[in-house]
Amino acid sequence: MKKTLAGIAAASVFALATATAIAHHSFSAEFDADKPFILKGTVTKIEWMNPHTYFYIDVTGTEGKVVNWGMEMGSPNGLMRQGWTRNTMKIGDVVTVEGSLAKDGSHIGNARAVILASTGKRLFAASSQGQTP
Amino acid sequence: MTKPTRIAFGATLAILFLVVLGVGAGQRGNAPAGAPEPTPRLADGTPNLGRVPGEHGVWNVPYITNMGERVVRPDGTNVVEERAAARGRGAARGRGDGPLGGGEGTTDGGRGGAKTEPQVPFLPWAAAIYNYNSANQSKYDPEGYCLPPGGPRLMATPYPMEIIQLPEQKRIIMIFEGATHVWREILMDGRAHPEGDALNPTYLGHSVGRWEGDTLVIDVVGFNEQTWLDYFGHPHTDQLHVVERFSRPNKRTLHYEAVVDDPGAYAKPFTMRWDIPWNATGELTEYICQENNKYMWRLTDDLGQPLFGKKP
Repeated sequence: MKKTLAGIAAASVFALATATAIAHHSFSAEFDADKPFILKGTVTKIEWMNPHTYFYIDVTGTEGKVVNWGMEMGSPNGLMRQGWTRNTMKIGDVVTVEGSLAKDGSHIGNARAVILASTGKRLFAASSQGQTP
Repeated sequence: MTKPTRIAFGATLAILFLVVLGVGAGQRGNAPAGAPEPTPRLADGTPNLGRVPGEHGVWNVPYITNMGERVVRPDGTNVVEERAAARGRGAARGRGDGPLGGGEGTTDGGRGGAKTEPQVPFLPWAAAIYNYNSANQSKYDPEGYCLPPGGPRLMATPYPMEIIQLPEQKRIIMIFEGATHVWREILMDGRAHPEGDALNPTYLGHSVGRWEGDTLVIDVVGFNEQTWLDYFGHPHTDQLHVVERFSRPNKRTLHYEAVVDDPGAYAKPFTMRWDIPWNATGELTEYICQENNKYMWRLTDDLGQPLFGKKP
């Protein structure tokens, strides 16, 4: 019971926190909120740029195949208001990303939250999900 | 689970839900303790719509995705205010001190197309375009191409903005961090709009302003047809005429109203309104949307062909 309640509380707080994100384009034109993912990988590239910061991670599949995924976050001004800087995440960092998959099946995701393996810190990614229907 | 356990569980859940809601309401209301400070004024008594010298502050423009829900109905209400009242809160207010400098942080309802918005007097073609934009989730929204918003959408697109009054120059400048980092000049010298070809259609149009008591009234014409009224895709034509009314009933609130008159798209004028909260500690930062717009390069048309990017 305790665990369930804690889970619900965490989910509710998460919903509130992510509800403040900002979108520049239609979320649902590109991503599918019904296709959530959690992926762990190593950061290979970071584009700290407008209108969306992108980063790329190498994800090793169950059969050892490595796939490079692109992850969309908010813009640098939005991320900085969330506590990020351009050096919060670096190439080579191991991260776990929570988000939604692209509708077209490509290896692109909309990141809602990023957890840095080195610190365990969970960072909100200023996702557009929940902002545009 | 036994019955008493179920009841206890339900009650705990309900309390937890209320607690979480309460936290949310507190954040969203952005209200510092105590009564709001009065409207700041310039030396000549005109309301100051910007910063008080020595202080920071920006207007946290809300993100309003569906302006159809802000249209004032014949009974004087609108959908959003009615929904907020039903939830037991005051009129829908934005957050003042949110981390992103954005506004309400909620997704407006709708997406049922024109038939679900009887308060919007669509002409048939405008209803058809609106239904198309609803059906494809606004994938062709010009803001997604990093083009600026025009008309009331400037006051409904994050990030924050500031109003700089220059009474000695008889003009007011509005600067927008978001909405593609644009600025607006409001001419306060009593001139009329240019006429004929001298009025060149632009994204933001031609703005002349005047004070009516404590309300800044801005008349805007000369819009091009490259923008939507909102994210949901209410269209407009170059016949669009907007009359905006800005007032600051207290230090922390900018009240915004816009009368949209576009005989090219709507059968009669309609009025929209919302409040914009003051973020007393905020400052503008840079946001250059055009830098790396992958959405635009990946965007395909209804036949699956790239709209802007290279053909495969």
